[in-house]
Amino acid sequence: MKPESAGRLDHGGHGGESRARRSLVSVCSETRRALRGHALLAAIGLVAATVAIRAQASRIISIVPATTEMLFAIGAGDRVIAVGTYDRFPPEVDRLPRLGALLDPNVERIIAMRPDLVVLYGTQDTLRAQLERASIPYYAYTHRGLSDVADTMRSLGRRVGVAARANEAAQRLEQQIASVRAKVAGRAKPKALLVFGREPRSLRGIDASGGVGFLHDMLEAAGAVNALADVTRQAVQMSTEMVLARAPDVIIELRYTGGDETSQADVKAWDALPAVPAVRNKRVFLLQGEEFVVPGPRVGHAVERLSRTIHPDAWR
Amino acid sequence: MAAPADVRRRTIVTVAGFGAFAAAACLIAPLVGSLPISLARALDRSIPFADNVDAQVFFVARLPRVLAAALVGSSLAVAGVVFQALLRNPLAAPETLGVSMGATLGAMIAITFHVDVTLFGIPAVPLACFTGSAGALGIVYAISAARRRGTSTTVLLLAGVALSALLGAMVRFIQVIADIADTFRSVRWLMGSLDVASYAPIVAALVPTAASFMMIATLPRVLDLISIGSEAAASRGVDVPRAERVALVSASLSTGAAVSLAGPVGFVGIIVPHIVRLIVGANHRVVLPAAALFGAAFLVICDLVGRTAFGRVEMPVGMITALLGGPFFLWLLFRKRL
Amino acid sequence: MLIEAADVSFAYERHGRNVLDRVSLSIARGSIVGLLGPNGSGKTTLLRALSGTIVPDAGRITLDGRPISTLSRRELARRIAVVPQETHSAFDFSALDIVLMGRYPHLGAFELEGADDLAIARRAMAATATETLEDRRFATLSGGEKQRIVIASALAQASDVLLLDEPTASLDIAYQLEIAMLLTRLNRDRGTTMVVSTHDLNLAAALCTELVLLRNGRVLTQDTIGAALTPANIRALYGIDADVTMHARAGHITVVPVGRAR
Repeated sequence: MKPESAGRLDHGGHGGESRARRSLVSVCSETRRALRGHALLAAIGLVAATVAIRAQASRIISIVPATTEMLFAIGAGDRVIAVGTYDRFPPEVDRLPRLGALLDPNVERIIAMRPDLVVLYGTQDTLRAQLERASIPYYAYTHRGLSDVADTMRSLGRRVGVAARANEAAQRLEQQIASVRAKVAGRAKPKALLVFGREPRSLRGIDASGGVGFLHDMLEAAGAVNALADVTRQAVQMSTEMVLARAPDVIIELRYTGGDETSQADVKAWDALPAVPAVRNKRVFLLQGEEFVVPGPRVGHAVERLSRTIHPDAWR
Repeated sequence: MAAPADVRRRTIVTVAGFGAFAAAACLIAPLVGSLPISLARALDRSIPFADNVDAQVFFVARLPRVLAAALVGSSLAVAGVVFQALLRNPLAAPETLGVSMGATLGAMIAITFHVDVTLFGIPAVPLACFTGSAGALGIVYAISAARRRGTSTTVLLLAGVALSALLGAMVRFIQVIADIADTFRSVRWLMGSLDVASYAPIVAALVPTAASFMMIATLPRVLDLISIGSEAAASRGVDVPRAERVALVSASLSTGAAVSLAGPVGFVGIIVPHIVRLIVGANHRVVLPAAALFGAAFLVICDLVGRTAFGRVEMPVGMITALLGGPFFLWLLFRKRL
Repeated sequence: MLIEAADVSFAYERHGRNVLDRVSLSIARGSIVGLLGPNGSGKTTLLRALSGTIVPDAGRITLDGRPISTLSRRELARRIAVVPQETHSAFDFSALDIVLMGRYPHLGAFELEGADDLAIARRAMAATATETLEDRRFATLSGGEKQRIVIASALAQASDVLLLDEPTASLDIAYQLEIAMLLTRLNRDRGTTMVVSTHDLNLAAALCTELVLLRNGRVLTQDTIGAALTPANIRALYGIDADVTMHARAGHITVVPVGRAR
């Protein structure tokens, strides 16, 4: 708006209205003029942009294990050119170069591989800034709850250009989880403690899932009540007294590597607390598998495995 | 003015007072916690242990914890007193000379590389811890002994600080290369935890601590003397190099044992000696036993606060001592009107 | 001779400069010997050698004919006490605590100080006019008071030799006079043999019975005051011209620097 006109009207209402109308008219006419003059350029730009978006996701780097699995599950696996240090699934990733992870992303190599999309952690501000400077597009992944897994799969699918297949994969996952829920619906939900960390051979350093996050969501979907549901944190450091106080009916320990007898034998450490219902009734279990720690497409299996452990009779 | 008999009587009364305080803390702490229990029920032998929740809370969850707190608090406080006399500096701490950091490095290595040896029933992490602290001690000792002409506590201090920095860098390096699950375990360990849940680790830590205390029991007068200067002590007949060696080894032993049991718990080694000296004066014959007793009570109470004052969750004891440490130093600063 | 040093040499570094270079001197019982010399001449090192704190690389130091290396630390501490230039206490010891520390060489391994130790300490404090400072914190005392307490501590050691390293260096002129008078009195009343290293030529002249002049780790001369404190020797030691005169009222030689040596 021209400064001179702004000061002329000193009462609002009717005067103000006409001023606004006058501004709107001038903006519209200016735009028409601009469009006419730059129509050709605009058209070219639009086409270029469409082409660019479609072409953008053919060289993908994903340093997040969850999104790597998702990319392969939604059919974009052939476009993945490099992965992160901790990515282990599917087996195809073993042939791909590994470029670091959350704490140590190899920025130079990432940029040198000339990707057109980098999937990284939302908290990696430095890496994001560097990618922006290099004009490399990125997708920031944030780790949230169980329902976000399917949403992320869809969102990634759209971003990469496989929206339809991504939607199918996401729906399959949602159906898998829904069917688990249905299987155990109406059954009494035991109080369960989901432990994801502990010093071997002792009860020190117990880390369990609190009432927030995807581990908690999985537990609830599998048909149990989280013994720590009232704690609004993802990870809770537990002392032996806390375990006795919470008195869970079921204890499930998650390990994501190893699979040997020594790990299974280590469950005996809980025998130091026989007053805990889970220990007394021999309902302490150890489950191994990456699907428990990677919030990716395999969480459906994780939820099912949890459910089979908690409600074995529902699955016979 | 004070006759020796008066001084002795006052000493005994003061130490007895600290002893009573420590005993009270150790007796009351296992009865207090987030889960209300009844002592009568806990001690009731007619109820089978497997069914007795109160007994399990008392004997598995709380009592080992209180005993561990007492042992760790005691050994860190005494180590603090000895290091402060050795380095002639009231701000010296068990962490100053790198022994604590050596223990930390040992633990990090054991956790990250999944070391799985057990010796005499002691698991890998505490073993590695103690080895690390012994290693750090060896290095500091060798550097200070290599000096040709007598000893210099400046060299000792510099060697310790440099070693501590170097070991700290190695710890951070290991954290970077570690697997994400191991990082969780490492971070957890670094916060310190007294929740030992069994008596074996306490007994294991008791051995080096007892050895250390026996050595320190020969030192009180010597510590008085070396704290006013190594030449001042030497001219009064003290074998200063030998005294410094005994002080260094004994204080490092008890520090290593404490860190192996509970992880690195900071500030105890500075706060407790200071408070004790404010109450009983500077004479090490009184300061040492008083620090041992007050250190035990102090850490028992800190752990009690950590496990009861925060509602549903527990705060690691290392965090409580740190929360106390900062304001404590500010208070010291203001007190001296600097 | 009570103490004799014969060809004592010492270097701090393995292949370093000899801070003491074939130093020989003798200290008679009951004398007050002054060690004079510029900075770096080896005065403090010599005192350290005499007290047994350092072991010479070459040469021998004997006490009553016995090499001091054959005496245990405690034995040596019962014979020789040291008053350093400064004493700093990291902790809140009282003045009496510091004095009582002088009793260490007389106590057994786990023996506690007894009533007689306390009495000796108090007598030492009385001798240095510090009885009123007993319960004061050592760290809060003035420079002069601290030095007197440290001297009392050395007296409590009940040694027959006292080594003093620049005892008045950080004190004002009143305290300098006070310490000088105290040392003179102690020497007269107890017969304590003293070796005093100092920069203060006038103090040396007032206090000492003889002087040892040190330059670059070597003994320039050992002689009585009059013979040792000459303009020629002062020029040789310090490179300055000085006026050396007998001061009638003070009763001893005084030295006044008048300019740089030409």
